[in-house]
Parts: sequence; structure tokens; C-alpha cells
Amino acid sequence: MPVKSYKHIASLLAFVAPALIIYSLFLLIPTIGGMYYSFTDWNGLNANYSFIGLGNFIEALREDPDFVHALLFTLKYVLFMIVLQNVLALMLAVFIETKTRSKGFFRTIFFMPNMISTIISAFMWTFVFSQVLPQLAEKTAMTFLDQLWIGNPKVSFYSIIIVSLWNGVGYMMIIYLAALQGVPQSLKEAAVIDGASPFQSFRKVTLPMITHAVTICLFLTLNGAFKVFEVVYGLTGGGPGRSTQVITMNIYEEAFSNNFRYGYASAKSVILFVIILLFTFIQIGVMKRKEVEA
Amino acid sequence: MRLNKGSSFLITLFLCAGAVISFFPIYLAIINSVKTQGEMFTSFIALPTRLHFENYSQAFHKVHLLNSTLNSVIVSVLGISGIIFCAALAGYKLSRTSGRLSAMIFSLFIASMLVPFHSIMIPLTRMAKALHVSGSTYGLAVIYIGLGVNMAVFLYHGFVKSIPRELEEAARIDGCGEFQTFWRIIFPLLVPITVTIAILDFLWIWNDFLLPLLMLTDSTKYTLILSTNTLFGEYNKEWPLILAALVLTALPVILIYGFFQKFIMQGIAEGAIKG
Repeated sequence: MPVKSYKHIASLLAFVAPALIIYSLFLLIPTIGGMYYSFTDWNGLNANYSFIGLGNFIEALREDPDFVHALLFTLKYVLFMIVLQNVLALMLAVFIETKTRSKGFFRTIFFMPNMISTIISAFMWTFVFSQVLPQLAEKTAMTFLDQLWIGNPKVSFYSIIIVSLWNGVGYMMIIYLAALQGVPQSLKEAAVIDGASPFQSFRKVTLPMITHAVTICLFLTLNGAFKVFEVVYGLTGGGPGRSTQVITMNIYEEAFSNNFRYGYASAKSVILFVIILLFTFIQIGVMKRKEVEA
Repeated sequence: MRLNKGSSFLITLFLCAGAVISFFPIYLAIINSVKTQGEMFTSFIALPTRLHFENYSQAFHKVHLLNSTLNSVIVSVLGISGIIFCAALAGYKLSRTSGRLSAMIFSLFIASMLVPFHSIMIPLTRMAKALHVSGSTYGLAVIYIGLGVNMAVFLYHGFVKSIPRELEEAARIDGCGEFQTFWRIIFPLLVPITVTIAILDFLWIWNDFLLPLLMLTDSTKYTLILSTNTLFGEYNKEWPLILAALVLTALPVILIYGFFQKFIMQGIAEGAIKG
């Protein structure tokens, strides 16, 4: 029945074609193209370029202190975000769940910052950090508020974390809330009857029931945090100097703002991709084992 | 969970503190956007004595509010409808067809889900130039379709499995063609997942910054976020004006949030669980 089989294939292709074509043009081919260019010394303008093997990768990791610094700075940021964002979001979700009447109100308020674009959030906080907090410190006795929130790289790391959390916690909270709603009330009641304290019942009953949500939220945070760009761009612009530059900014600068070394910038992009892939696989692997145990 | 009064009170206290922090920057932006520069510097926290809406009319012109909003709407609406159109067709058919070709195409879509945007932005700008889609609002929408379609295919693919095949068979016996069956019978049944996809993609496209920054050079084509970014760079000491612009930029999404809160939260929870 070859005729029928051709028909099947034709109809499959007809349904899939629009998505496949547009996806290939703007995502698949650029992905492959980027990997290809990462092995060349292409400068984006010149038609002539040559293969230089792993040259770009070696240069990025060995001879580019700015890139290595950005890499480490991003790693530190990712670590802080994974822990703080998930702990805070889970805490808020669990606490909100204990309320009956004010539940909706708190949920609305905590999620609201997430609606605002990251770059707009960063601008709002620039105002808070550069204007409001110093004045507040002066007028009240809260001298700890008088920091160079944006000017001092040691402090501005935490400013970046604060804005990211402010913007992002609500999203994770929604996912945790949805998961908590799936935990049967009867199980929690049984734990209480057996004499479990609220904390025990959370650790032994609730948490194992929502590991799936924890996996998802860790994954989302990990992926998002490695790609951080807007918060830093809006808040410090990577400065002072390049002290708060993250990987994505370093790539952006390499490719678009000064030297147009497309091949070299592509190699950095590939490094970012490989790191994300690696961390994601490790995280999912570990969590899957945990889920099975639970 | 039954809690004693003490810990219940502490929880309320914690939540209230969190709520204050959540709302604080928005509050500051709103109240200082209606002050004069002088009044603002005497106190940032105090409520304004008189409402100065000049800042708003100035910001309104400086960010070309109507034009930028229109651009954002065009990009979002076209991008979202394009994603839904392409992905619904593909996701449905791939879910219903067994065989190696179908499985291969599906994995092709999935393969790139972890690729960060920053890893493709360089070749993407080249591609966009080559295809003449860079520098235009419509072109930007087309690129969003390309970037967003794989996730949507994945979500549709999963959702279609829950729809019984008998419906299509019945329609076919009644003489419906394949496309007709899809649009008349199946697509209406996909509404729940379509709503989820529309919400997730709206939040992404409307609030996105980097792609428009890379693609658009002509300020009349700027999206709302991009115009505000330009204003922020140009007037970096005139805070009341900047804050008015920020409030104007945030307002549409906050309003949408007010109306569709339930759907948005549902959409995020569902998108996360299936994705």
C-alpha cells in the first residue's frame, strides 16, 4: 500500500510544515549556525573566515579574565537564586495555605511584581536603591540602609539578588501553591492525629507529596538564573567596570557593542549552553532519584 | 493545618512584611510620579501634597505611548496567534501519527528547548537581516513565532492525547476533510491548553526586552518596554518623569492581571506541570 503511505506522509507534512519551517529558520538553524561559528574566527562582516578548532574556547577560558569573572559571578548568582528563590517561594506558599480568608489577598500581592517586566522592575529598584534608601537612612536611624547599593560591586550583588527575588518569587509560589492544593487533606489530618507537629507533618507528609513541584521549580530557577540579563542591565549595567557583568552580558558586549568578534562570542554562547545543559541533567537526575524514594 | 495562636500570628506578621516589600517599590513609583522634583527630594515616602500630572503628560509624549503600545499589541497578538496556529496543527498531527518520521519531527522540536536565547542571538540577528524581518514590528512577531512554537507544540502534543479519537472518526465518516475536522472538531476542544499557551506567551512577548533591542533600530517601531528603556537612558536624573513612564508601562499588565488573575495563575501552574 505505498500510495496510502505517501498520503499519510503528505498529510503529516502539511500539518507540520508551518511550525517546522518557521522553527527551523529562527531557532534550529541559528542554533546549529552558532555552534559552527564557534569554531571559526569570523568577525561578522568579512566573508572570509577560517577554522581555528578549539581556539576560541581555549581563549575564553584561559586568556579572558573578564569572561571567567562573569562566569563565576553568574555561578554565584545561580546558587543564591536556587536556594533563596525556592525557600522563599515555598515558605510563602505554605504560609498562605494556612490562611483561609486572607489567602487570595496575599497571593495577589506576592504575584504582582512578576507581572512587571524585569527591566522595568530593575528601573524601579534603581530609584529605590539610589534615591529612597539613602534618604531613609538619613532621616531614620537605619544607617545600614546607607550603602552604595549600585556603586559598590560587593553590595550590588545583593541588590541584583533582591530585585531578582522580588520579580521572580511569585511565579514559583504559584507553582508550589498549586502543588500544595494537590496534597490530600486526609493525610495531613492523619499526621496531626498521630501527634505530628506542624513542622513534622510538613517535612514528612507535605514535602514528599510535592517533590514534583520542587523539581520543576529548581529547573525553572536554574535555567532562568543562568540566563540573567535584564536585572543586571537595568540595575548596574554590569558596572562599575565589569565587576557585576554576567555571562549573557559578556556575550552581548563581545558580539554587539565593541569588537564584533562573532566567532569568539559564539564560542562563549556554546559554553553557556553546555553549562546549562550539564547543570540541568545533574539536577534532574538527582531529583528523579529523590522522587522515586519519596 | 491546625496551628496555635502564637505561630499563626507570626505567620501573619511574616506575610504582612512580605506584602509590604512586594508593594513598596510600586507604591514609591506611583506617589513620586505625581510630585515635582523639589517635593520629591524633601521626602520620597510622604504622600504628595498636590497631584502633578504634568509628569504623565510629558512621559506620555516622550515614550510615544500610543504608538509604542500599538507596536507591543501588534507584536503580541500576531506572535501569539501565529504560535497557536502553527503549534496546534503540528502538535495535533504529531500526537495522532505514529511512526518514525513523526517521532523524529517531534524530537526535533523538543531538542532545542534548553537552548538559551543568548546562545542563538548572534546567528539569529544575521538570519533576520538575511530574511528582511529585522527592523519591523511584523518581522519581530514572526521571530517570536519561531522562538515560541516548540514549547507550544510540546504542550498541544500532550493535551491531544486526552481527546478521544472517536470524534474524528465520526466526523470523517460524515465526510469532513482532515483540515476541516481539525478546525471544526478538535481545535475547539483544545481551548484550555490554548488559553494557557496564550497567557504564557503574552507575558513573555509583552515583557521581553532583549529581542526587540537587537531587532529594532527605528524608534517609531519600538515596543513599550524599549521606548521606556530609551527614556530611562536619556533622562536619568528626572525621576518624576521616569517614574511616570514606568507606571504607564506597568499599567497595562497590572490591569490585565486584575482582570485575568485566575487564568494567569492557572496557566502558569498548568504550563509548569506539563512542561
